[in-house]
Amino acid sequence: MRSVAITGLGFITSIGNDRAAVSRSLREGLSGLARVEFLHNPRLSIRVAGTVKDFETDSPSWRDWRYPERYQLAREALRSLAPHGLYALCAVEQALADARLTAAELGDGATGLYCASAGSAFLMHHHLAQLHAVQGERGNPLGVVSAIAGTLNFNLAAHYHIRGAVGGFAAACASSTHALGCAVDEIRLGRQDRMVVVGAEEVNAETVLPFASMRALSTQADPRLASRPFDQGRDGFVAAGGAVCMIVEERGVAEARGASIYGFLRGWGQAADGHHVMMPRPDGAGLVDAMRRALRDAGVEPAGVDYVNAHATSTPAGDRSEAVAIQTVFGSHGPVVSSTKGLTGHPLSMSGIMEAAFCAVGLAEGFTPGNPCLVDPDPLCAGLNLPRATLPQAPRLILKNSSGFGGSNVSVVIGAA
Amino acid sequence: MLRHFPREVGEAFERLRTTGDAAALERVVHAVVQDHIPVQNRTPGIVLTPSTDLIDHLGFDSIAISELVFFFEDLFQVSISNDEILRVRTVGQLCAFVSEKLAAARKTAG
Repeated sequence: MRSVAITGLGFITSIGNDRAAVSRSLREGLSGLARVEFLHNPRLSIRVAGTVKDFETDSPSWRDWRYPERYQLAREALRSLAPHGLYALCAVEQALADARLTAAELGDGATGLYCASAGSAFLMHHHLAQLHAVQGERGNPLGVVSAIAGTLNFNLAAHYHIRGAVGGFAAACASSTHALGCAVDEIRLGRQDRMVVVGAEEVNAETVLPFASMRALSTQADPRLASRPFDQGRDGFVAAGGAVCMIVEERGVAEARGASIYGFLRGWGQAADGHHVMMPRPDGAGLVDAMRRALRDAGVEPAGVDYVNAHATSTPAGDRSEAVAIQTVFGSHGPVVSSTKGLTGHPLSMSGIMEAAFCAVGLAEGFTPGNPCLVDPDPLCAGLNLPRATLPQAPRLILKNSSGFGGSNVSVVIGAA
Repeated sequence: MLRHFPREVGEAFERLRTTGDAAALERVVHAVVQDHIPVQNRTPGIVLTPSTDLIDHLGFDSIAISELVFFFEDLFQVSISNDEILRVRTVGQLCAFVSEKLAAARKTAG
């Protein structure tokens, strides 16, 4: 079977806007969470978020945006983007440079693009409010392609003239892991030689506060305490934004051009809970099936896995369900488990590809992320091997979990180069 | 909407709104057209004349034209139909069209 190599990464995340910054944050346990005040309302109970630094995208007009000077972006690229599309474009530029590919090479027909985002609730609200204000008589012609779910794939495919497989995934917080798994299949089935996988989200009132209405967010005011996966004191997730791009290539194609390889995507699996629109199954049965299918697809036994990068978002029910699922698959002496969302917060659709990229950095640089925000482990998670500090050695085989609304569960197996 | 333009463009817009001054209208329309010229067709110091063709000379594609139309709709709080868009090819025609639109809007408001 064709092997799938990871050859390029790009990061715009709460813990860093390039690989070096991300790596340092993961190694040293540096948090990307910060105090925020949404809608200029100090009465709101949501006061912490995983913010995107060095970008100013508060305005619905791209003309007002500010972003790092290293990115040279034409108005033709910017005009149909949402804020998270801007982050995504910057992440793809980084990943191209990291993979030592040119933008022109993405238009070879052998390269595809899979993306994940929930669209821009912020821009959608702006455009629809404008439409209502003039009683439907006019509207921004770029409103649809900048705001709806799919905006990432529309814009990136056009910008890079991609002629291979292009699509978007909408499975909420499992979306970009779905995108990655399906990208793996595109290559393994011989349909594409290279796939660009992108996840991105915004961290603004329109994206974040609806989750407060669900009572899913932490109400902690202290950024150091707000996101504590697997901790007894956890009280919800902390929303985050940004974009991450991962470029994956068929092994022979990557080796023929002398690409540096972070690691290999060995297999993946998915299974749904069949249970509830928002809540996970308490016994984690869907995630258990997803993990087992991923391991079977990769041809490895549970005992071969030495690190699980958990989805754990710091919600009481979600972390508990995942802990049960991990113990069901791996038993009582299982692998190292950590959730990097303690540092990053939870960037929704983008979380899976972000965390898979973190795993790739750990493989290449020789470390395993820990749980630096964990203080008092929930007894229900006590059977897990949850180191606090980052471990100074790379895992050999990683299982990366993601779960989303409707009980979608996806697991990906990532192996060392 | 004009805060990213040179100050004199904003001043011309204010003159246009208060007096309907034709020179002010031309200054605003030219500045907005310049701002929407596709990057690959931008040449330093390009001078717009009434006969400058948006598509043939400046390389506007359908998105750039629709973006330009919406900018004017938003700036002047008017609605522009597809038929009206199709009648405009040159910068001169655009200035005349905007002038007509503003006159009609003033008449309706008055």
